[in-house]
Amino acid sequence: MNAVALRMFDADLLKLRKKRGTLVWVLVLALLPLVVLFTVRAVQHSSTPHRYGPAGGTPGFIDGLRLLCTFFGPLAAILVGVEAGTGDVSAGVFRDLVVTGRSRSALFFSRVPAALAVCWSVMIVGYAIVVACTFAFASHLPTPDTALILNGLGFTLLATGVVCVVAVGFASLTTSKPAAITALIAWQLVASPLIANISSLGSARDGVLSQALVHFSPVHIGGDRGANVTMSQTTALIVMAAWLAVFLALGAWRTRRMDA
Amino acid sequence: MRAPSVDHPSKGQSLPSPAHAPAAAQSTSESTGSRLAIETSGLVKRFGQRAAIDGVDLSVPRGVAFGFLGPNGAGKTTMIRMLLGLTHASAGSMKLLGYPVPAGRAMALRRVGAIVEEPRFHMHLSGRENLRTVAAVRGPETRERIAPALARVGLSERADEKVKGYSLGMRQRLGVARSLLADPLLLILDEPTNGLDPGGIQEFREMIRAMVEQEGRTIFLSSHLLDEVEKVCDAAAIVDRGKVVTQGPIAELAQGGTQNELIVGVDDPDRALSLLDDMAQVREARRSEEGLRVVLADGPEAAATVNARLVSAGLAVARLEPVRHSLEERFLEITARLDATPEEARA
Repeated sequence: MNAVALRMFDADLLKLRKKRGTLVWVLVLALLPLVVLFTVRAVQHSSTPHRYGPAGGTPGFIDGLRLLCTFFGPLAAILVGVEAGTGDVSAGVFRDLVVTGRSRSALFFSRVPAALAVCWSVMIVGYAIVVACTFAFASHLPTPDTALILNGLGFTLLATGVVCVVAVGFASLTTSKPAAITALIAWQLVASPLIANISSLGSARDGVLSQALVHFSPVHIGGDRGANVTMSQTTALIVMAAWLAVFLALGAWRTRRMDA
Repeated sequence: MRAPSVDHPSKGQSLPSPAHAPAAAQSTSESTGSRLAIETSGLVKRFGQRAAIDGVDLSVPRGVAFGFLGPNGAGKTTMIRMLLGLTHASAGSMKLLGYPVPAGRAMALRRVGAIVEEPRFHMHLSGRENLRTVAAVRGPETRERIAPALARVGLSERADEKVKGYSLGMRQRLGVARSLLADPLLLILDEPTNGLDPGGIQEFREMIRAMVEQEGRTIFLSSHLLDEVEKVCDAAAIVDRGKVVTQGPIAELAQGGTQNELIVGVDDPDRALSLLDDMAQVREARRSEEGLRVVLADGPEAAATVNARLVSAGLAVARLEPVRHSLEERFLEITARLDATPEEARA
């Protein structure tokens, strides 16, 4: 990364981290469900230990990972990605960046690392909560080893990072924050699980991003999240790469072509 | 105050050039040697069937304040947006600081600052942070210009407040500061005094003149305010319905085709009228509130002949002066004629 790219990243990061309203929602979406999950389970276990098992341990780790990586984490990643993709346009400053003479592609691609930096910062905190609660509330249950913890971190960053980057591309394509957030959340929460459960679609369901991403999970987090599409690791990798390539290309194309 | 004229390369009119060597302009390594800051040829922008810009040929010399004058909807902002690469031209060619646009756009815009329409900012950032985000895109050397730019527009003390707390006038000034980050050889300003109070407008005018006269920068100022252009600019183009109707130095534009008109004050207007009616040098003579209004058939030198004739006839000539039009009168005259016959207006 050269000096200009580094400064552009720093500037985009500044825009995102000072966007307090969005950041609060991102933190609430990513962290609050984890806190609620472990708190409720800990209270249940302490009040009725014979009926409810400990909140932590490996089962707690898996549930926390599922919540963070397949449900609330991607939603938070969408908010960050959309903010990064539409921030300059919606504030009306995109044209002021264009008249600097800097290439529009450079303006687009500097959004991506900044969005990832914010997204991953939040997700690391979320993952730290998962791990901390896993050990704190483990009681007699086994706990994940170091390799699993590191793999879980990698999966968290991958699952939310890919969604975040896709959101940057899609938001840059639409240039409308409400439209992008609505479409992406609807896809993530409604359309993806629905398509994955229509067995008559066969291998066409391989193209659903969330289904491809769960294949990189170090533990089985399918089940009720509808990850019932089987595909090879290679196919999952190709699907993920295709989503990234298509939406980055579309976002860059729109940024280059749009009237500023 | 105003600089001497040089021949205009394309229109055959004279336009002013800077009175002294523009230091900023001469020191730039980016200079292509072109004497023109902006040059367009047959520039067209269509939205569907409608031509917002219709074959504009424009030549703006370096080191002057150049007004781009026209009523709302005349195509001023569209023209600026094309020059800056914010929207594509449908046809024609253009150059900024000698670089063809869009091919050499990146090089050209390195030393161009601009305010397009009302200046917009990230409201959740401070004034200084907003400038930081633009400086980051422009290049490493630009960051050092943030503090001087803020000081120049008088925003140093409030630079760390969020922009959402700024008045419209402060945002305008911050917009100027942002455009100064480029250390611009060419500053393109679209309706820059919108939202400024009278004091702010006066300061702004002084700043523009200082940029031109002391720093040798070129200012391209789009406005529908005739008074503003007349007071700030050396030269102007009048644009209406996507076409440049006329361009040249302000004084010449204001005079237009009426430089042969005189106001004559005499002790016996009736007798003077009968004398003037018989003179071949006089096309028309009539009474007006100020005296006799005389349109000369020949050039302004015929005024001496008129004076000699009246005096030799024993009339006391108390006043004989050319009619001076304001740019506003000329502008209204042109646009009114354009309503009737566009060809005549361009004549």
